[in-house]
Amino acid sequence: MHPVEMLFDALLLLSMVVLAWQGVHARNLFRAVVSFMMFGLLTAVAWVRLEAPDIALAEAALGAGLTGALLLATLGRLDQGGRATRLRTTFMRFSLPWMALGLAGTTLLLAVTLALPAPGLDEAVLRAMPAAGVDSPVTAVLLNFRAWDTLLEIAVMLLAVVALWSLGQDVLASTPRLPAPALPALVRLLFPLFLLSTFYLLWRGGHGPGGAFPAGALLAAGLVLALLAGARVPERMTGAPLRCALAAGLLAFLMVAVGVMADRGVFFAYPPQHAPILIAMVEIAAGLSIGVMLTALFLGGEPTDVEGGPS
Amino acid sequence: MGLPSTATLVVILVTLPLATATVLFASGRQPRTLILAAALLLACAALALGVNVQLEGISVHPIGGWTAPLGIHWQVTPSGTVMLVVTALVGLAGAVYGTGYFLHRAGPEGRMARVFMPLWLFAWGGLNALFVAADLFNLYVALEVMTLASVALVALSARRLALQAAMRYLLAGLFGSMIYLLGVALLYGQYGVLDLDALAAVMDPQDPGSRAGAVALTVGLLAKAAIFPLHFWLPGAHGRAEPPVSAMLSGLVVAAAFYLLLRLWFGPLAGLLNFGVGAMLGTLGAGALLWGGVLALLQRRLKMMVAYSTVSQFGFAMLVFPLATAANRDAVVAGGTLLLANHALAKAALFLAAGTLVRASASDRIGNLVGFSGRARWAWLAVILASAALIGVPPTLGFSAKWLLLQAAIAEGAWVWLGVMLGGTLLTFAYLGRLLERALLDPAPEPTRPPLLTLALLLPALLLALLACVLGLWALDDDMPTQWIPGS
Repeated sequence: MHPVEMLFDALLLLSMVVLAWQGVHARNLFRAVVSFMMFGLLTAVAWVRLEAPDIALAEAALGAGLTGALLLATLGRLDQGGRATRLRTTFMRFSLPWMALGLAGTTLLLAVTLALPAPGLDEAVLRAMPAAGVDSPVTAVLLNFRAWDTLLEIAVMLLAVVALWSLGQDVLASTPRLPAPALPALVRLLFPLFLLSTFYLLWRGGHGPGGAFPAGALLAAGLVLALLAGARVPERMTGAPLRCALAAGLLAFLMVAVGVMADRGVFFAYPPQHAPILIAMVEIAAGLSIGVMLTALFLGGEPTDVEGGPS
Repeated sequence: MGLPSTATLVVILVTLPLATATVLFASGRQPRTLILAAALLLACAALALGVNVQLEGISVHPIGGWTAPLGIHWQVTPSGTVMLVVTALVGLAGAVYGTGYFLHRAGPEGRMARVFMPLWLFAWGGLNALFVAADLFNLYVALEVMTLASVALVALSARRLALQAAMRYLLAGLFGSMIYLLGVALLYGQYGVLDLDALAAVMDPQDPGSRAGAVALTVGLLAKAAIFPLHFWLPGAHGRAEPPVSAMLSGLVVAAAFYLLLRLWFGPLAGLLNFGVGAMLGTLGAGALLWGGVLALLQRRLKMMVAYSTVSQFGFAMLVFPLATAANRDAVVAGGTLLLANHALAKAALFLAAGTLVRASASDRIGNLVGFSGRARWAWLAVILASAALIGVPPTLGFSAKWLLLQAAIAEGAWVWLGVMLGGTLLTFAYLGRLLERALLDPAPEPTRPPLLTLALLLPALLLALLACVLGLWALDDDMPTQWIPGS
């Protein structure tokens, strides 16, 4: 490894540790949240360094962007009195034992991890690629070789929305609008770009880094930005249309998984000649649903007709 | 006419709950006929699968035509099938009970009625996916579906204490998931395979990385199965949820995590299960039996008592680990699985009957319960039958399960574990006897306007309790599948 790269990695690692520390021990919650968001961004950089651009994309959009927006929105609704002092007084009693335990655990884990041979399944994946129906190995694993895992993961995401909505009405009305007069104009300018990048990532998923998860995350980032700028879910979209958009990804996935049984009678066995188009269909449906699901998680509850004009 | 093939039945069992839940959510409506038809179809599919497994034995079904280690496959095993059938019975009973329990269309109960069934079906789908999975990561995703649905089901009862319990359950569940995932990563980093059979073939018990992985998998699952001392989240979550929710959570969700412990320790991790590990896990079980039993004895509220009983009963199941040896593995794992099945049926019946009794008495204090009169008699009958099954009175399923474990303990000369088992049974007898004695011999006066107890509130509990009692006869039969070890 080049010395400059090593220096970069060392700095990256150090900043991550410092940010993690600040995230836990910041004087107030706002600083903690900002540290956490920066930690997410640096984690994305770390994924790039580990040559996993797909994960880096998702990490940047989810770990830094969406989670940060969620935390900030939560912060806006918390009453802040007395929290700063509480954070500090518990340090000796609470953090210290856990840190000691964490340090011991990490050391042990590091020793074990460094000794791992990490064989992986790269060769098996490469050998199966000609029959996978897509050119990107990541997409092949996610939507073909281990498509059943991915289907269940999308079920988990939909379930998260169902769970959240089961708790009661949405809390969007109390979402603080950012005091940024230029934001609505900027969002109007940027939103088409977000949409364009979403579709670009969906299309790219077939042969390079991209695909449903990063595309969905990007779409959600755009939608959340629009919500922060004061946009509201249009009334005609709430209710059945929104629910269908949320469910579309999982339903499409399930229909394809069961539908392809008409060919060979095997669950999820795409017919080779139709595999590319079927995978693309699933990817688009899943990507759009993921975008809407993440946005729904930000909304915090089922949107009812709320006041406020369109963006 | 033959039954549908095993592969078809598995596809129905794992996709139908998810598809129905998604459609119910998307439509925003709860057509009762559709829900009951789906639940009935799932129950039939599980029973047909049970028949197929008796005839064909273990079968493997690659997903997408890809074989392990690249792809994932489903594996239908006798113990997994027992769990699938029990899940279907409890799932169906809960669905019927739910239609009778959440009556009002407006207010908080209306909200519960709207979301109960989608969440119930998601949990059901997660459970089914787990019982046929044979891949460490696929098992993780199935666990996630199950856990998240369970947390949302606990939070359904929007009361403050229930929400607190749900939050604590969420944190404990996520902690369990993360630790489990760490174990998966360690084993994958060591061997490069996720498939359980492939892993069993290459597992090296001496390797420190594998040991660390096994510890992480086990700790994660112990937290999810609420094994003492990681049980802290269970009593609140199960005691304060709505009755049908408690039934599924106590009967199935906790059992699924424990089933996975059995699956791993008698599958890929079998080489690591030596005397020390067995004794350690058994000690946790003895602690759970004692602690859960004593606390159940001290509870004043009916559902909290039943919830602590779950902590105690899973202590019993933990004794499988110290009792298993190379010679009696089949019998001991069969005993463990039957114990889970018996607990699922009896505990679900107990929670459903408890919900009915609490509604009839307008109080959940054991001292305020209505007596053995009117329609509440049927709920009490379910409680009595379920208690018999939990205690292990012959010929219940509980007796068959405990008999298998007792035989193993006697054959091995494991007198300590034998004593623990007998002590646990006595404690179970004590707290359930206290409930029956307080409520039947010293009942509260009837409420002036008792609420109507419909068949939907009475029959499911009674049938589940009856099944727990009569299935014991089948379980002692010689035709019982002899190869119980998952995947062997």
